[in-house]
Amino acid sequence: MSKLVKIALAGEGGQGVQSVAEIITEAANEEGKEALYIPNFGVEQRGGVSIAFVQISEKEKVGSPKFEKADIVIALSDRAVRRCAQYVDGNTVFVYDTAIEGVEDDLPKGAKKVIGIPAIETAKNELHPRVFNIIIMGAVIRSTHVVSEDQAKKALEDRLGYKFEQDPKLRELNYRALERGMQLVESQL
Amino acid sequence: MADKPIQGEKRMFMTGNEVCAYAALAANVDVMYGYPITPQNEIMHYWTRLAPKHNRTFLQTEDEISAGFTTCGGVMSGKRCFTATAGPGNTLMQEAMSMAEMMRIPAVFIIQQRGGPSTATVIYSQQEVTMTCFGANGEGLRVVYSTSSHQELFDYTIKSFNVAWKYRFPTFVLGDGYQAKMRESVTIYDPEVRGIKMVDTYPLVGLPGMPGVDRDPAHLRNTYNTEEELYEVVKDLVDAYEKMAPEIVEHSTMECDDADVVILCHGIVSRAAIEAVRNLRAAGVKAGFFRPITLRPFAKDALRPIAEKAKKLLIVESSQGQFAKIVTDALYGLTTPMETIFKPGLGITSDEIVNKVKAMI
Repeated sequence: MSKLVKIALAGEGGQGVQSVAEIITEAANEEGKEALYIPNFGVEQRGGVSIAFVQISEKEKVGSPKFEKADIVIALSDRAVRRCAQYVDGNTVFVYDTAIEGVEDDLPKGAKKVIGIPAIETAKNELHPRVFNIIIMGAVIRSTHVVSEDQAKKALEDRLGYKFEQDPKLRELNYRALERGMQLVESQL
Repeated sequence: MADKPIQGEKRMFMTGNEVCAYAALAANVDVMYGYPITPQNEIMHYWTRLAPKHNRTFLQTEDEISAGFTTCGGVMSGKRCFTATAGPGNTLMQEAMSMAEMMRIPAVFIIQQRGGPSTATVIYSQQEVTMTCFGANGEGLRVVYSTSSHQELFDYTIKSFNVAWKYRFPTFVLGDGYQAKMRESVTIYDPEVRGIKMVDTYPLVGLPGMPGVDRDPAHLRNTYNTEEELYEVVKDLVDAYEKMAPEIVEHSTMECDDADVVILCHGIVSRAAIEAVRNLRAAGVKAGFFRPITLRPFAKDALRPIAEKAKKLLIVESSQGQFAKIVTDALYGLTTPMETIFKPGLGITSDEIVNKVKAMI
């Protein structure tokens, strides 16, 4: 990873973008990096676009909690695609889900790269809708290298270990979701 | 006493509200009084989760007026107490805060600024500077720490209790919604391992013995009959405050010695300013940075020579000049040109500051 990576993760309430941001930043912190995560929040917390602002730095403390342009934007709904155009410039990799309809004209023109991934479909058809956000997490760590795959798995274990204990298949499912997420962006980077 | 809530030192990754609750616990606080308001709610939430395990208490009151006064009452009984609020809650609490000034009640208030005026946003601002420093009827005889990171939230929350009890002025930790809600790394610690001793607390009322016979009466008044009587009292308060000021005033600077432009800001905005100074210096622009840590008392003596030497000043804040008023008051008589970035209720990034400084030179 480069010295400081700025990530904007945006989706609909309930898609789990805030949990992904939390798990990734906790994992980075565990690796000894400096991480800062702030959710956008307002009185419209339920409903509306939910955005997580994440910054991860190799060593130095992170500066201001919000930023103007992101290194990577992940937009998971039509509204998120439109809302996140403001965080995109020539250095931004813009990732969106190919299942989102009607946004062809709204995809940012000036981005470094625009990547469509079938995360929603993969979750639904191959895995389970509940691990959709873990697929996204895989996509984030593969495109940014902010944490290693091992550390990401450890962070999942820390957070969901008690559930994995009850049903070891869940561990398998989450790990596979993480790996699939990584594969989905792999070929397009 | 039961086991210490924090043993030694520990690196954590958590929200600023959680940091405040841990700091209060580490500072050996007895009671928190509070009424919920975003973005400070989780201070209460974490406190109510942590406190019972360590024999500490919490009282939820019916509103912020009550939360302010119960905090004062708890302190008068000799307990280390605090409350936390934001925005309209800060407004409602002003009467209790000014009573604390008048009666020298060492209460601690944590403020997580949200947008204003009125209900506005629950998110972020630096618009509670005037109110926190000078609110209510009175003379602003308060100590106000404006923090910029989780580490400072922890350090200065602990310090606030000691400054309050040592000098007996109400003391404020002025954070904001960003600091409240964001997560970043912080090292929490038992104050003792850093050589910090918590100042002893003691009851201000209900002392043993007959007042006037066995001891002087504990004369805690906030009502006076004549103008002259009040004048004497307020003069004494102001004298005590001014005597304390040089002992507690704090600021920090960066690269001011040869700076053409000195950026002035406080609180979380200083993170953007530090980044901006680094970027500007890397681009060969001589920028520096001055940040008061105590907004009250203000580091006037430290700032004046820096401001006098600089070619230009830039004041940056997430409000419409509330901080600038404090600065210009301190710099009265100087002629150094001054420009501003005022963004009421809006976060400020380093890029904005960099661009502005470049346009100024």
